Amino acid sequence: MNRPRITIEDEAIAWVIRQREPGFADWDSFMLWLEEDPMHAQVYDAMAVADQDMDWDSAAYVAPAPRPLAPPARHDGGYRPSRRRAMGWGAVAASLVAVAGYSLLLPASASYAVETRAGERQSVALADGSRIDLNGGTRLMLDRENPRFAQLERGEALFTVVHDESRPFIVKTGGATLTDAGTAFNVVRAGDVTEVAVSEGVVIYDKGAERVTLPIGRRLRAVDGSRAEAGDTDPGAVAAWREGRLIYGSAAFATVADDLSRNLGVPVTAAPGVRGRRFSGVILLDGGADRAVPRAGAVLGVSARREGDGWVLMAGSDAER
Amino acid sequence: MTVGGLEAVFLANRDTLLRFLRARGAGDAAEDLLHELWLRVSGAQAGPIAEPLSYLYATANNLMLDRHRSTTRAQRRDHDWSDAAGSTVAGVSDTPSAERVLIGRERLRRAEAALAALGERPAAVFRRFRIDGVSQREIAEEFGISLSAVEKDLQKAYRAMIELRRQDDAG
Repeated sequence: MNRPRITIEDEAIAWVIRQREPGFADWDSFMLWLEEDPMHAQVYDAMAVADQDMDWDSAAYVAPAPRPLAPPARHDGGYRPSRRRAMGWGAVAASLVAVAGYSLLLPASASYAVETRAGERQSVALADGSRIDLNGGTRLMLDRENPRFAQLERGEALFTVVHDESRPFIVKTGGATLTDAGTAFNVVRAGDVTEVAVSEGVVIYDKGAERVTLPIGRRLRAVDGSRAEAGDTDPGAVAAWREGRLIYGSAAFATVADDLSRNLGVPVTAAPGVRGRRFSGVILLDGGADRAVPRAGAVLGVSARREGDGWVLMAGSDAER
Repeated sequence: MTVGGLEAVFLANRDTLLRFLRARGAGDAAEDLLHELWLRVSGAQAGPIAEPLSYLYATANNLMLDRHRSTTRAQRRDHDWSDAAGSTVAGVSDTPSAERVLIGRERLRRAEAALAALGERPAAVFRRFRIDGVSQREIAEEFGISLSAVEKDLQKAYRAMIELRRQDDAG
């Protein structure tokens, strides 16, 4: 009881931080700490609520154009405050960390990560019948209490979504929101690049002021900080990686190398001299990295050279030096 | 895990959960809150639940946080003009939305500034943890620093955020 409040606050903050860790499970120790002093629960409440109220969605910067002021609160016309969360610490946009409406707040542990190592694949069946196929080197956050939401942190995933008019499936990645409208679509997040390709139905890409509707056969590529570009894609090729093929129409070698790494589980890089070259065609992935990478090199017209644990794709003349 | 499975875990840990609710400050309401906890988890659209007991604890914890919010709100209501609206939705201020956007921007700007004042690394560590949801262990690897250095950075950043909020609440 005599301990200074600041110490208790620091301890409470440490618990708040620990509980944000994916897979936090040490509730027993937390309970023991709470039982030391009734003050602990009070301070913890204040710290945890402050943490929940921090809304760091980058969308705060591109807040929607100011709407006309709503009628004054005393007005007895039909004004109802939006169900969206108040500005607490940030924006109107909901995200994994900013949930719409306190009443809908999810337990911290309701979200969980599904992660694959490079070369590993995994399928996740969701409660609503939707399915997500994860390619290698992928990390995806899902929400136990909301099967219509996923956040792709990195890597590649194919979303085959059961459409529900009243509850669109939402994928967040790279600060953008993808909303399905009856759909199968593939999403890649690598470094600062987001790529979306649609093989069925329609997806809506939404990032700040940019809003792009992507029907079947369209793809979009967005580099953080610049405008998204849309183009055409072969719907049948969108998720060919699941069948052990990579299909390209004018893709940079750097992209091909990233895809090979993710699919084969070994680091594959394109040497600076060939990174920007473009490739159209099909690369087969079977036979393991030792066969697939040299074969890919042959298709790309470059040499594949072993370097450490991985491979480097380089112009033929460079390889001989 | 199915609802049936979750129920079994709930029943097996009933006393512990009750103790947890009490430790969280539930007092005499602990039994009622335990009931509410069950309604909440059994009514949730459950996907697979890997760690049912942790899930129950986390839900109980959030139940208490929600309760804390409504108590705080009720206390404020006496002096708060927004009560006049009568239609106040839990946790939602009735300040018109355009104004809220501006307030939100201003707060975020100040939060960014407070973070930046801590130095580059603590700010970056905080972002990775709090915004990107990356684990502390991964952050330590990414930045090439020890786990305890990550903890210290996070503690520092959280402390700064708390102080900022305190100023907001006072002002």
